[in-house]
Amino acid sequence: MRRALIGGVVVRAAAFALLWWMLLEGRNDGWGLGAIALAAALLLSLRLSPPGERSLSPTGLAGFVAFFLWHSLQGGVQVAALALRPRARPLPELLEVPLALPPGAPRVLMTTAIGLLPGTLGVCLEGDRLRLHVLDRRLPAVAEAEALQRRIACLFGAAR
Amino acid sequence: MTEYLSAALLLAGGFFFFAGTVGLLRFPDVYTRLHALAKADNLGLGCVALGLALQADSVAVALKLLLVWPLALAASACVGYAIARRADALGIRPWRGDGQ
Repeated sequence: MRRALIGGVVVRAAAFALLWWMLLEGRNDGWGLGAIALAAALLLSLRLSPPGERSLSPTGLAGFVAFFLWHSLQGGVQVAALALRPRARPLPELLEVPLALPPGAPRVLMTTAIGLLPGTLGVCLEGDRLRLHVLDRRLPAVAEAEALQRRIACLFGAAR
Repeated sequence: MTEYLSAALLLAGGFFFFAGTVGLLRFPDVYTRLHALAKADNLGLGCVALGLALQADSVAVALKLLLVWPLALAASACVGYAIARRADALGIRPWRGDGQ
């Protein structure tokens, strides 16, 4: 437990330091203010999300990022085509999908991330049901939502 | 080589921003417009950020440019949901396209 705590603090401090280094664009003159920002960010992150409470799986993260990039590319291309084709019209509808994800961060991630995937937009998260706005009802929106849900379950290390 | 790739990405980014804006103007209701903005503009921003990162002078600058994308992505995904939820709470019914 103690080891997990120290490990978590070290990893987060390193991540925030890397972030500050990026913001400085690699210069070396802003580390005084950086130390304050780093400490504040570290305290806030430990407060908001104590280490060891929830763990992200690294393979799940890689899978999620790859899935997300590929599908948001498709989403952008699809909506651009719909916007630019003179005769194309959206065929929207509302539908509800049940969520098997645990409450909290996994459901919130699902609700927001689905707005960037092809043809779907989260409208309302109520308990374990998510209402979606679908841009084109001929497209497989439910399958898309299912796939995203599986990725998020893997990301948060849930065995499914 | 990098120059050409960067130019192609910047042009693609401009194209997706254009398409997203056309969608914003053309689509019939708030929900469909959110689709256009969230998806097309984010893809456009991703292309622009990547294209600029390829021209960056140092690794730190390139990473900083690439960091813009996930941050804007997270913001626009949350804002898109917030607007859709508010529209739904106000009772705005989605346009259905088949004369109801």
